Amino acid sequence: MKRFLWFILPIALTLVLWEIISRSGFVSSALFPPPSKVAVALWGMIVAGTLLSDLRDSLWRLFAGLFVGSVVGVVFGLLTGRVKSFATALSPIIQILRPLPPVAIIPLVIVWFGIDDSAKVFSIAFAVFFPVWINTHIGARQIPQAFLWGAKLLTNSLAKIFCKVVFPAALPFTIAGIRTGIAVAFIMVFVSELSGASSGLGYRISVTHLAYRIDEMIAALAVLGALGAIADQLFVFGTRKLFPWIKFSSK
Amino acid sequence: MNHISVKNLSVHYDGYCALEGIEFEAGKGEFVAIVGKSGSGKTTFLHALAHFIPFSGEISAPKNVGMVFQHYAVFPWLTTSENIAFGLGGKSGNERAKIVSEHLKLAELGDKKDKYPAELSGGQVQRIALARSLAHNPEILLMDEPYGALDAYTRDKMQQWLLDVWATHKKTVVFVTHNIEEAVFLADRILVLNHHKFTKEFMVPFARPRHEEVKFTPEFSRLRKDIFESINSFEN
Repeated sequence: MKRFLWFILPIALTLVLWEIISRSGFVSSALFPPPSKVAVALWGMIVAGTLLSDLRDSLWRLFAGLFVGSVVGVVFGLLTGRVKSFATALSPIIQILRPLPPVAIIPLVIVWFGIDDSAKVFSIAFAVFFPVWINTHIGARQIPQAFLWGAKLLTNSLAKIFCKVVFPAALPFTIAGIRTGIAVAFIMVFVSELSGASSGLGYRISVTHLAYRIDEMIAALAVLGALGAIADQLFVFGTRKLFPWIKFSSK
Repeated sequence: MNHISVKNLSVHYDGYCALEGIEFEAGKGEFVAIVGKSGSGKTTFLHALAHFIPFSGEISAPKNVGMVFQHYAVFPWLTTSENIAFGLGGKSGNERAKIVSEHLKLAELGDKKDKYPAELSGGQVQRIALARSLAHNPEILLMDEPYGALDAYTRDKMQQWLLDVWATHKKTVVFVTHNIEEAVFLADRILVLNHHKFTKEFMVPFARPRHEEVKFTPEFSRLRKDIFESINSFEN
């Protein structure tokens, strides 16, 4: 109960302060609408059904991109981390692509894929790939030799060593990479919906901007922020449930 | 008939000589301990026997080798029974379950079969490590200071347990330790490794089965002292 209070109190205080400042007349309430007006706008978006369809479209793009980027990142990370020839062949290409701001590829992606979902999923996957790859790569490099030697004495199957030893040994690093990837995916889903989209939270924010509906804009931003925080917490919770030994070994 | 035979074994790392002209033999079912100071090449010798590292010379030993390490002995992401089952990929489900349950019993960890290593004590983890190696049924067993990180009390208990297990399985064991008392208590024969070479051999005269009490006999103390002096007669 006490913890809940500490959690809810700062949020409540911020809202109250915001409400007072907005209504005080010091600032234009059209530019800085009070939270009560934002809540009404949010309710309006819920009732009209736009919020739900925006959420659905944004989340689908986000998860598809996150999934593809993570899977490719893990596979490449394990290979460049453990197989010398892969590291030699792939590392230069990845290192050249890595410093590119992922946002910068969006115009090119639109030319290639058009403006449908595949373009957005590709942009998100591209951005997610790098943190997942580099973390998995480092994780795979630092596996204690005794794990690999021990495994080699017990099995001849290289696939088994990769799946049952190399992958889990690198997993704490991979998970850190995916967690960064989730934050990056939220940036990318927003940016990729700013242009060439007809739905999604990013699109909503950009059209409310044109219509000068600051209340709706802040409502959509609040939803995006809450979603990011929830996604991160869900990820942490999920990894703890799926891989309890990570929590145990970090004790 | 020798089970392990090593002739003129040398190991060099980047110009550094770790082992030089080693000769070694071990009979089937023999328990050999290797003692020496840190950096004398004890662990390197085991790594060469397991073919983990490149070497020159000749090693003739069975291919099916088991190894127990001091650190990173078991996989932290697998439970006790999953660790023991790791090397049993080729077996049928029933057979695998039978071997796992036998070795859980051997490791005295039947009630901990679904626990992860981080939830167990150091001694329990080392028992899983040996059970995992034995489940794979190796012909020779290499042990690299398996009890080096345990407290003295746990260490004594583990030594007794290891002797009991060894008495039933009778594997050929090469056991590396820097603890002379441990070597004398466990082994049939002790080799002293000094400056990358075996410099002395001691036969252990105590009858088996051995128990803690043997450690308090004058013969035990004398042998321990002789080995200690043999190690220290070489200055680093």
